[in-house]
Amino acid sequence: MTGDYKKELKPAYTMLTIMEEAGRCLLCYDAPCTKSCPAGTDPAKFIRSVRFRNFKGAAETIRENNALGAVCARVCPTERYCEEACSRCGIDKPIDIAGIQRFVTDFEEKAGMKILEKGAANGKKIGIVGSGPSALQAAASLLAKGYEVDIFEKDAYAGGFLRTGIPEYRLPNRIVDVEVKRIADLGAKFNYNVDVDKAKLDELKAKYDAVLVAVGASEPGTLDMFAGNSYAVPAVSFLKEVKDKQGEVALPDSALVIGGGDSAMDAAATLKILGVSSVTCVTRKELSDFRASKEELETARQLGVTIIDGYAPLSVEGNTVVFKHRRLENELKLKADKIILAVGQHTTADKLGIAVAKNEVGFDGYQADGKVFVTGDIAKGDKTVVYAVRKGKEAAAAIDSYLGGK
Amino acid sequence: MIKKDLSVEFLGVHFDNPFCLSSSPVGNCYEMCAKCFDEGWGGIVFKTIGPKHFLIDEVSPRFDALTKEGTPFVGFKNMEQIAEHSLEQNLADIKKLKENYPDKVVIASIMGPTEEDWEELARLVTEAGADMIEMNLSCPQMTSHAMGSDVGTNPELCRAFCQAVKRGSKLPMMAKMTPNITDMVPVAKACLEGGADGIAAINTIKSICNVDLDRKIGLPIINGKSSISGYSGKAVKPVALRFIQQLRTGIKDVAISGIGGIETWEDAAEFILLGSTTLQITTAVMQYGYRIIDDLKSGLEYYMEEQGVDSLMDLIGVANDNLIPAEDLDRDYVVYPEFDTDKCIGCGRCYVSCFDGAHQAISFGEDRKPTCDHDKCVGCHLCALVCPVKAISKGEVVMKPGRKGTPAEKAI
Repeated sequence: MTGDYKKELKPAYTMLTIMEEAGRCLLCYDAPCTKSCPAGTDPAKFIRSVRFRNFKGAAETIRENNALGAVCARVCPTERYCEEACSRCGIDKPIDIAGIQRFVTDFEEKAGMKILEKGAANGKKIGIVGSGPSALQAAASLLAKGYEVDIFEKDAYAGGFLRTGIPEYRLPNRIVDVEVKRIADLGAKFNYNVDVDKAKLDELKAKYDAVLVAVGASEPGTLDMFAGNSYAVPAVSFLKEVKDKQGEVALPDSALVIGGGDSAMDAAATLKILGVSSVTCVTRKELSDFRASKEELETARQLGVTIIDGYAPLSVEGNTVVFKHRRLENELKLKADKIILAVGQHTTADKLGIAVAKNEVGFDGYQADGKVFVTGDIAKGDKTVVYAVRKGKEAAAAIDSYLGGK
Repeated sequence: MIKKDLSVEFLGVHFDNPFCLSSSPVGNCYEMCAKCFDEGWGGIVFKTIGPKHFLIDEVSPRFDALTKEGTPFVGFKNMEQIAEHSLEQNLADIKKLKENYPDKVVIASIMGPTEEDWEELARLVTEAGADMIEMNLSCPQMTSHAMGSDVGTNPELCRAFCQAVKRGSKLPMMAKMTPNITDMVPVAKACLEGGADGIAAINTIKSICNVDLDRKIGLPIINGKSSISGYSGKAVKPVALRFIQQLRTGIKDVAISGIGGIETWEDAAEFILLGSTTLQITTAVMQYGYRIIDDLKSGLEYYMEEQGVDSLMDLIGVANDNLIPAEDLDRDYVVYPEFDTDKCIGCGRCYVSCFDGAHQAISFGEDRKPTCDHDKCVGCHLCALVCPVKAISKGEVVMKPGRKGTPAEKAI
């Protein structure tokens, strides 16, 4: 079943169907979709370009604003932003803005367009720790302003969570690689397998005009009761292994996923796509205040994942977990060959001397201390990819402002 | 199941329903016409038959389509000429069709470069058993300028050819008009004077649908070149209706077979209301097949029921008198648009079009709802046309200053 894992779950639009979808757009005045993108994308403009068959112009609108346009097209929870705001909701359902963006960025790639530009060199150098979406956007924004950018990544590839945490069927590695290459082509230097600790950070501070820490929250969270449990594996570790090995992993007959966020849904859906017949997801939250995006929840359900909401784990013995309902007098005992813990992630930014509480810095904005800046998940604000892009742009602007705007 | 009488009498011939294939690739042989009859069409105009000496030599490819957003055939361009089968084969097919479908109407379309050819063809198709003749005076893509639309713009030539046909046959005969002309009436009159019993309108419009932007050649491309040729389909309906109205105004009670972009029963009803007795269709058949007849007939029957008529003939030409010269229209009042803000979904399209395309009368509020300034509004109703949810209707009627009459007496 690795074929299904490696194939994008959502079919792409064709030249004909894209015109049908763009034809549904009402081409609003002062369009609500455009006012709802955290990253400042202008869907109204790029959909209008599609409607009038200017696909290259559409690509330009997306790319000039967002160095991760093709990634966002695939992973942005648009249901909460542009698509929720879409006027067409007043008639039937919103325009598939993400789908149109994906068509346009695919077109951009096929046409070999090079839209991002490097600014005239200003002689200043920025070091970036991490290469997740926020780091990549910040790099693109800084390059556009003429900075030199060096990126230090602990893994052997760039992309951070995009590359490790989002399953191939939602975001193929190839797409991430193309986005990364665009930024590398602008001149960003990627240094892989570099684990930046406090000492290394001090070294970078000495060498660069500013250092941007974008280490994210990549360390898996766990629950004490599962310490040393050989059946249990964190969702982020599981998702990374499956993606690294492109689905060629040992599979259990049954799996229990604990958690109700996007990673829980991704892990559960991945197991199903790989062919595990029994996948049960138990989440403490109830469906009414579910954390995962609607689309992810729907995908998991359509693939046949059993979702039990309102139950928190109480105790575990081997591969048998007892859950208790949050409000009702009821317990649930479930046994599975594999237990996936999707109970959040945390950051290791504190190792770099950056004070964090609940995986977030305590200050507003992006400047931590002198020439050290932060962005991505550890910066204040939403933890979605689209916010990572927004923060990347804002952090780059903050650095530029700190360095005199030159 | 709805059961209304769709039959019509046209030039003395009985049609069990008014829907016919027009003379074109869709009625090119016995098998095609037989299938069309089996599916319920009232008649066929067999693909135009030419004289033996005129050789048909077609290009490949030979079609193109104008598209818009997701709509694949807004309009259709066609470079085919007349029937490519042998004269003998065509006559044999007509004979066989009449033998096997005696109650259906078989119309022979003919075309020739000389009076002798017209007369001879008329005689031959009459002998083959055709019920009616249609003179093709209008095909815009012939390889001979002695045939087709070049002839159809010349009243004298048309009159002479009609007389020739009448010498060859006593069958009812209609002359098919070209729209590639400013005023169709003089040609139609000449045809009627020459012996035509009715008029078929319109043939296709000379066109170039698309140009290949890389190769800089019109489409379709035939060994690096292309040609102007006939345009048909939904896009030409307004042009067809206009010519039919002008024929009905210029030649009182002229019998018309309406052609030009009919796809739905609503299109068909429009052609009938403007004076068509029978209807001819090709492009929609090329795109969707003969099966479209089901909904053309059923839809038209339901329309008859809604209108309370038992005979389709009662609807023919009913709308003709409601089209009058622009100078005779009532210009004494303004009807303002009325906005249903509950229906409105706040897209602002009315605002954009009013500002950029009309009179800057609509403002768009913080609440994303439109309001209209009657001091600026001229009542053009562009806003209503662009509204995607039909939230804009006709509201208050106001007399222009100094004009006689009252709003209440106006038929809005």
